Amino acid sequence: MSFPSDTIAALATPVGTSAIAMVRASGAQVATLATEIFGATPLPRTVRHADYRDARGQLVDDVLFTYFAAPNSFTGEDTLEISCHGNPFIVQKILEDLLARGCRAAEAGEFSKRAFLNGRMDLSQAEAVMDLIHARSERALAAANLQLRGSLGRHMNSLISQLINILAEVEAYIDFPDEDLPTADRKAVLRDLDVLTTATSRLLATCHYGQLLREGIKTVILGEPNAGKSSLLNRLVGHERALVDPEPGTTRDYLEELILAGPHALRLIDTAGLNLSPSPLEKRGIEKSLEQAAEADLFLWVIDTTRPLPVLPPVVAARLSAANTIAVFNKCDLPAVSPDLLPYNFSSVKISALTGRGLEALQAEISRLADGFKVGVGDELIAINVRHAHALEQAKQSLEAAHQKLSLGITSELVASDLRVSLDALGQISGKIDNEKILDRLFSSFCIGK
Amino acid sequence: MGASTLLLTGNIDTIAQMSCNPAIGGQAKGQIVREIDALGGEMAINTDVTGIQFRLLNESKGPAVQSPRAQCDKKAYQFRLKHTLELQPNLQVFQATVTGLIFAAGKVVGCQTSLDIEFLGQTVIITTGTFLRGLMHVGQNKNEGGRLGDFSAKSLSSSLLEAGIELQRLKTGTPPRILGRSINFTGLQEQKGDLAPTLFAFHDTRDPEDLFHVEPTGERRLGWKPGSEQISCWMTYTTPESERIVRENLHKSAMYSGEIVGVGPRYCPSIEDKFVRFADKPRHLLFLEPEGRSTNEYYINGLSTSLPFDVQVDLVHSIPGLEQAALLRPAYAVEYDFAPPTQMFPSLESRKVENLFLAGQINGTSGYEEAAAQGLVAGVNAVRKVRGENPMIIQRHEGYIGVLIDDLVTKGTTEPYRMFTSRAEHRLLFNHGSAELRLYQHSLNCNLLSLSRLGRIRQKALAIEYWENYIETMKTAGGIWAEKIRRSEPLNELPAGFLAQPKEVREETLYRVRYRGYLEREQRQIEKLKDVEKIKIPSSIDYLAIPGMRRESALKLHQFRPENLGQAARISGVNPADISILMVLIAAANRSQSRPPAAG
Ligand SMILES: Nc1nc2c(ncn2[C@@H]2O[C@H](COP(=O)(O)OP(=O)(O)OP(=O)(O)O)[C@@H](O)[C@H]2O)c(=O)[nH]1
Ligand SMILES: [Mg+2]
Repeated sequence: MSFPSDTIAALATPVGTSAIAMVRASGAQVATLATEIFGATPLPRTVRHADYRDARGQLVDDVLFTYFAAPNSFTGEDTLEISCHGNPFIVQKILEDLLARGCRAAEAGEFSKRAFLNGRMDLSQAEAVMDLIHARSERALAAANLQLRGSLGRHMNSLISQLINILAEVEAYIDFPDEDLPTADRKAVLRDLDVLTTATSRLLATCHYGQLLREGIKTVILGEPNAGKSSLLNRLVGHERALVDPEPGTTRDYLEELILAGPHALRLIDTAGLNLSPSPLEKRGIEKSLEQAAEADLFLWVIDTTRPLPVLPPVVAARLSAANTIAVFNKCDLPAVSPDLLPYNFSSVKISALTGRGLEALQAEISRLADGFKVGVGDELIAINVRHAHALEQAKQSLEAAHQKLSLGITSELVASDLRVSLDALGQISGKIDNEKILDRLFSSFCIGK
Repeated sequence: MGASTLLLTGNIDTIAQMSCNPAIGGQAKGQIVREIDALGGEMAINTDVTGIQFRLLNESKGPAVQSPRAQCDKKAYQFRLKHTLELQPNLQVFQATVTGLIFAAGKVVGCQTSLDIEFLGQTVIITTGTFLRGLMHVGQNKNEGGRLGDFSAKSLSSSLLEAGIELQRLKTGTPPRILGRSINFTGLQEQKGDLAPTLFAFHDTRDPEDLFHVEPTGERRLGWKPGSEQISCWMTYTTPESERIVRENLHKSAMYSGEIVGVGPRYCPSIEDKFVRFADKPRHLLFLEPEGRSTNEYYINGLSTSLPFDVQVDLVHSIPGLEQAALLRPAYAVEYDFAPPTQMFPSLESRKVENLFLAGQINGTSGYEEAAAQGLVAGVNAVRKVRGENPMIIQRHEGYIGVLIDDLVTKGTTEPYRMFTSRAEHRLLFNHGSAELRLYQHSLNCNLLSLSRLGRIRQKALAIEYWENYIETMKTAGGIWAEKIRRSEPLNELPAGFLAQPKEVREETLYRVRYRGYLEREQRQIEKLKDVEKIKIPSSIDYLAIPGMRRESALKLHQFRPENLGQAARISGVNPADISILMVLIAAANRSQSRPPAAG
């Protein structure tokens, strides 16, 4: 069996023009490479200033470089970090030179993979790094950073330790029946189970927010035909993405685009206008609009101020609330016909998709609502991923099953069985939980045995 | 199995002598005894025939954790087992203290004895109990010996050390024995045996000639019908006065004054520990257990201590019913050597010395049942080793014996290891009645039972399968039988053919039907675990060269050389992150192997 030993290199800072760019190389050849390029054997963890000359001796840039000796580096291998001027051309030159000297271009996430393989991070941290790489907004970055520092791990440990406490009580009752256990109090166990279930649900609730962070907030633009929905999408995207036409019914199928609104990522979706008496073709478009609306997080309801106030189809109206909807009064560059008074308590913004007026106010309002989606645990921002959610959901269901059995007075071996399924599920997130832990708890809390 | 065997013991008269209370079974241990019976062991039948009180524990907590327990007649138990050994073909019993092992080319080839007689054998099994450098403490008083009145095996330890086997110290304790007629039973709560006793042996499949009992004349006959003429135990409690006595004399206790270095069990705390560590508990429950029919000796279960004798007397007298009690033997603590069990293969063969097997307390366990189970497995595997056959390895999902040995060899232990039902992740599969069925394949493969018994087990399994299927599919008024059973609806009458089946068939069938959902859930988990067990670790792997793997894990893996990921994950000191690394590496290695070879 062989272990990763080739040396990989890649740009470590985001692609694009920035003041400084950092190229990272990791692997067994790094020390030799550094000596070759910079002439001297580098001291670990010391920032050095030097000229970067390519293999043919040509000066590429003056750079700062740092050498990290294994295992004290991000990947756990010998690592070289080269900071150069953020010119894409220079970056390209350096990378090409490193490849010419025998490095291999790193695949996406390969540094993290090596860090994981070298025991530099646990599974949930590795997942967080992958989230960081794919983070689409500042918020997503913040959440991934927190998880990287182990906030999820801490919350998991708390859940697990509560569950082990409960299980130890039930197990003590099974394994030491001769003794009159001081805590044969079923009610207390039921109470502890409630507390634990609530804590699990709270963590579980961050999953949706996690999804919002990772995938963007699903934002649906809806309204009557010709209200200016496509025009608004184009405005927010910054270029002509959707077809715009004076003819109502231009947009037939929905269309999605990812944008940033302040710190948030939005999956912006333009839909076909909602027409109360549609043609068969329009009808299919409208059905699709409704489908999109059904799973949306945020709604931008575009209203044409030059026309009488529209009426919403009841299925749509039922989904809208002050927390998830902004009434966007469009075409305010033209004289208004309808009053900007709605029979709903939605916040409203006046804009002109044509001139761009009011757009900042709209973005601010979007940000404000998006902030409201934040689900924290305590005052910590946590966003679990789908794998975590699946395990937590299973844990929660088994907790509820245990609770039910206990309150119905069903035999404790089955209660314990459910609790163990729950513990296994939690273990899927944080690593397997050993039986010994339960016994340790049991022996330290109960006077048992003869 | 028919192998030619020599049994050496320091004293033939104390074969199967119970050093602690003469009780067999109890939580999880009761299931182990039934598993021993399923594998052809003697413990169950010996208990049934010499038992004086039978109780089924955990009746209200569900059928899987229900465990039979019996109080035995100490002497009858011992005599019958000695007699059984005497009757065993191919077995020679001889009295001599083993003083050392004989090695040749890194293998054990025999042993030396105190009589200067050497014995040679292809495999050797060591079962030293608490006798290996046994040291008994009563307060400051110390005596060498593994049990009150017995000797200590002193020189064998150096032989083991010499062979590279690491030894450590453990400690266990036992309470005072008192004279029954000095106990005032009035006011004490009586604990009777069950009216319908649950026996340990599978009498439905066993051959009838097993049922004998040994009379003092050496005559074999049925002395008392198993479970008949039961004798009661009695319950009493410690008092505030008992606590005062213990606390005031704590400094005189061998354990609290630092005399004892061995680690004691947490689940069997001494009375000193109980008062100190659980100060909030006002009183502690004690059982007065008779030691036999032909003796008046009682065992005070729950009062294990290493306090000096005079304090013990005051302590016993502070207990209701024991105000006038006469002590027959003092309580004492005993320290002894054990060999940390991670030094063994799952076959119970030493990793250090080929052909050397270890069983019982030398492996860090406590309890007659745990010891008997290991003795059986070590015996079977020693014979199979001689014959060049694969060892019998009982899996964690097959029975408590599997859990026991897997825990020992992969996790080791720092206190005397006792089985608990909570140690078994698949406890719902381990109801005591299913032991024969669970272990059938092993007893068949290793030839552990008579052909007639194997046939009867097979028949029983078929009958259970048939009726399980019948009940799961046949309708009655109000739906399918099985669903009515699972909904716990009142069942006026089950099918007549079913009711005509033996009790063992009926109970196991109903258990399977009632717990079907749970048993299936367990099976799914086992399958999932098996997947990990199926991930083979290439034998060429060099753990010490894996970059970044934690040193402790790498060393452990290097030492144990697990065959698959499941085993690797259970080795103590190997953490989950390192298992993930291993998993990714193996996956990567497999991927590169399955790639078509590059041209040229
Ligand atoms: N004066 C003015 N015209 C606008 C404004 N926004 C959109 N329009 C015009 O209104 C017409 C319809 O615009 P679209 O963006 O296609 O409207 P829509 O809501 O997507 O229409 P459908 O796709 O047909 O449902 C076009 O002619 C736009 O130029 C605005 O703010 N001011
Ligand atoms: Mg449109």
